Amino acid sequence: MIGALLGLGIVLRFPLPPSLFPMQDTTRGKTVYVKWCAGCHGDGGAGDGPAAAHMLPRPRNFTGALYKIRTTASGQLPTDADLMRAIDEGLPGTAMPAWKGRLSDGERRDVVAYIKTFSSFFADTSQHVAALKFSSEPGGATGAAALDTGRQFYDSIGCRKCHGDQGRGDGPSAPTLKDDAGFPIFAADLHQSWRFRGGGSAADIYHRLRTGLDGTPMPWFSDLIDQKFLTDEQLWRLAQYVRSLSPPEAPEVRDVIHAPQITRTVPASPDDSVWGRVSRYWFPLVGQVVRKARWFAPAVTGVWVQAVHDGHTLALRVSWDDRTQSPDSAWLGFEQRVLETVAGDDSAPPKAEPWPDQLAVQFPRHIPDGMERPYFLMGSETDPVYQWRWTSRPRKSVAGLARGIERFDTLSGAPAGQASFDHGEWRLVFTRALATPDTANEVQLEAGRAIPVAFFGWDGSSGEHGSRMAVSTWYFLALDRPTPPGVFISPVLAMLVTLGLGLVVVRRARRRGTAGAGRRR
Amino acid sequence: MTATPAVRRYAAHPFWQAVAIMVGAYVVVVWVVPLLPGSAIVPKSVVLQYMVTVLVGVLIYVSDNEERWARFKEPIVAVLVEPRLRVARAALLVVVTALVGLIAYGQVATTVAAPPNLRSIHPAPPAEITFRGRSITLTGLENPLRAHPDSLAVYLAEGKSVYYRNCLPCHGDHLDGQGHFASGFNPLPANFQDNGTIAQLTESFVFWRVAKGGPGLPREGTPWNSAMPKWEDFLTEREIWAVILFLYDQTGWTPRTWEKTGEVGRGKGEGS
Repeated sequence: MIGALLGLGIVLRFPLPPSLFPMQDTTRGKTVYVKWCAGCHGDGGAGDGPAAAHMLPRPRNFTGALYKIRTTASGQLPTDADLMRAIDEGLPGTAMPAWKGRLSDGERRDVVAYIKTFSSFFADTSQHVAALKFSSEPGGATGAAALDTGRQFYDSIGCRKCHGDQGRGDGPSAPTLKDDAGFPIFAADLHQSWRFRGGGSAADIYHRLRTGLDGTPMPWFSDLIDQKFLTDEQLWRLAQYVRSLSPPEAPEVRDVIHAPQITRTVPASPDDSVWGRVSRYWFPLVGQVVRKARWFAPAVTGVWVQAVHDGHTLALRVSWDDRTQSPDSAWLGFEQRVLETVAGDDSAPPKAEPWPDQLAVQFPRHIPDGMERPYFLMGSETDPVYQWRWTSRPRKSVAGLARGIERFDTLSGAPAGQASFDHGEWRLVFTRALATPDTANEVQLEAGRAIPVAFFGWDGSSGEHGSRMAVSTWYFLALDRPTPPGVFISPVLAMLVTLGLGLVVVRRARRRGTAGAGRRR
Repeated sequence: MTATPAVRRYAAHPFWQAVAIMVGAYVVVVWVVPLLPGSAIVPKSVVLQYMVTVLVGVLIYVSDNEERWARFKEPIVAVLVEPRLRVARAALLVVVTALVGLIAYGQVATTVAAPPNLRSIHPAPPAEITFRGRSITLTGLENPLRAHPDSLAVYLAEGKSVYYRNCLPCHGDHLDGQGHFASGFNPLPANFQDNGTIAQLTESFVFWRVAKGGPGLPREGTPWNSAMPKWEDFLTEREIWAVILFLYDQTGWTPRTWEKTGEVGRGKGEGS
C-alpha cells in the first residue's frame, strides 16, 4: 500500500513534461524576460544587465548561444528541456535562482522561446538538436573497487590538472583559467557538490563529463569513450568518485556548535585524531555587502567548525576550502583579473597584492543575558567585539577588540593557533583557557551557556583584504557538561512506577479474566 | 485461499480496525499530506494533535455499542491474561517501560539551545530623520517622484538599476528575500512579495528603513542582527525614492497612504 501511495506521490509531484512545449509565445516571453531576467542578463540578452558587473560567474550571454549545462554533444545547442531545467532549478553556487514556483509553467516556457530569439543559431532549423543517449547508473557506487577505478581515471584523463589532487580546484592550471568571454573562472571545488551548477548527483556529474561545460575550459569526455580510451562504465565510476568527495547531503546549518567535554587535554593540532570523532558544523559565509568597500564575490563559501573542551581549555577547529596558500605569486595574475571583473565601491579596480589568507572568530566581550548582542559585523565604536584573528603570513594569531570593520585593537593575551594546509584545505585550531585574567575584554567561556560566535574569512589570492571578505551572522557555541548522575534518577523512577503499574494491571486482569472465562464459556 | 478467511476475520475485528485506522491516519498525515501541491511537512506537534483526534474518534466508534466494545477489548485482555501469550505480555511490559524511561530522560536531560530571537517586525518610525545632514519629516511624507507621472517610466528604470546593483544579493531576483547571500544572514532579508512587508507600509516608512538600515533600528528592533546596510552611505535621496517606486511596481503592491488630516489621526498608515 505504501508503495502505491509513494507511486501516486511521484506522479503528482513530477508530471511528465509536455512534449516539446507546443504553445510557446515569444511576445509574452519578452514581457516576462524584461520584468524578471533583464536586470542581470540585459535587455539585449548579452549578459550585461545592471547587476552583471557585480557577479562572478557572470550572467549568461544569450547572444552567443553557448550553454554550460546541456544534455547535447559539445559544441551543440542545448535542447529546450536543458534551458527549461536551468530556469526551473537555477544554477546552484551562482546568483541564478530556481524560477519554478516563482513564475508559472507558461511564463517559463515562453521565456525559453524568447531567450532563443537572441541568437540566430536557434533559427537554423537544419541543425538537429538532440540529447545524447545516457546510460543509467551502474550499481556499486560507493564500493572501494568502483571508487578506485574512478580515481584512476581522475588521474589519467587529467582532472587533477585543474581540479587538483584532492579535487578542491587547486590544480596547477587553475590560476590560468578563463572562460570564452575572457572572465576568470574557478575550477569547481569537487568537495561542495551542492554548488555544482548542473546539480550534484552522480548522474548530473556523469552528464557534465559526457557533454562538457561549453564556454569554459571543462571539456567533454564522450570522445574518449568513442576512442575506447575508457568505457562508459568507467566514466560513471569517475562520476561516482567525484560525488564521493562531497558529503552525502548538502550540509544543514545548525545554530549551536556543541563542544563535548573530553577527559584528556584538548588537542592543539588540527590533525589530531580527536577531530575525527567530534561532530562538525557548517556555517555559510557570504559577501560583505553592508559597509564600504563591499565585496560581491566571496571566495570562502563557508566554514566547518568543531569544538571540544576539557573543563579548563577550549579547542576550536575551523576548516575551509581555499585553492591557495596565500600569498602565492602564481595566482597574482588571476587575482588581478578577479579584482577587475567584480565591480565594487572603488572608482578603479584595486591593484592585486600578495595578501595573506585570514580567518577571524568573533565573540561578544561578555556572554549576554538577554537577546542583545553587539553588531554582528565586527561590533561598533561603543560596543566592540572580542576576536581571534589568524593570518597565513606571517603565520600567527592574535586576539583583539574590533570596533567596526575599520578598527582592530590588539590585546596582549592571544589564543594559540595551529594551522595546516592540505591540498586546498585550511585546518586551523585555536586553543584558549576558558577563564582569563582580562575579564573586561576577553569573553569568559562558561559551560552550559549559549555563547554567540561569528566567523569571517579572506582568501588573499582572490584579492580579499580588509572589507573585501566573507562574513557570517551570529551563531552559538555551547560547552557541554558531562551528564550528572542525578539526571538519571527521575527516568529510573518513572520506569519503576510504570513496570509496577503494568504488573498490577496484568494481575487484576488475570484474576478477572479467569472469573469471566467461566461466565463466557 | 487459506489466508482469505483469516484476513477477513482480522478486517472485521474492531480492535484491528482501530489499529488500521491509526496506522492509515499516520501514513496520510506524515507522508501523503506533504505530497499535496502547496503543502509542507506537518510539524510533529500537529501530527500529535491529529493522531489524538483520530484516537478519540476511534474510541467513540468502538465503544459505541456494547458488543463491539467487548470484542475490541478481547485481544487486549488476552495479552494480559492468556498463558500462551506470556512472551508477548513480557515484551509489552518491557517496551512500555523503556519508552517511559526514554521520554522521561528526554525531558530532564538539558542541552543548550539558541536563545529565542524575538523582535518587532515593524517598529514605530520616528517623526523626523536626518538624511546626510538634512532633516526630513517622515510624518505625512509621500514619494516625491509620484508627483511627476510623466517621468514615472524613467524613475522606474532608475529604481530597477539601483535594485539590481545593490539589493539583489539579499532580496533576490524575485524580491522574495531569497537572494544568493540571504542564507548567510539572520534575520532573513525582507520578502517584498509577502503581504506583511511593503504592502502594509507607507513609502515614508520604507524610506526610513532603507536610509537607516539595521544600525538605525530603534532598540526594540534588535539592531544588532539585521544586515540591512545604512543606504544613505551609498545612495542619494532620489535613488532611494526610485528604488521604492520599483519595489511597489515590480511586486504589484500599492503603498499605504496617509489618512486625511482630522480623521483617525495617527493610524496604521504610519506602519506601527
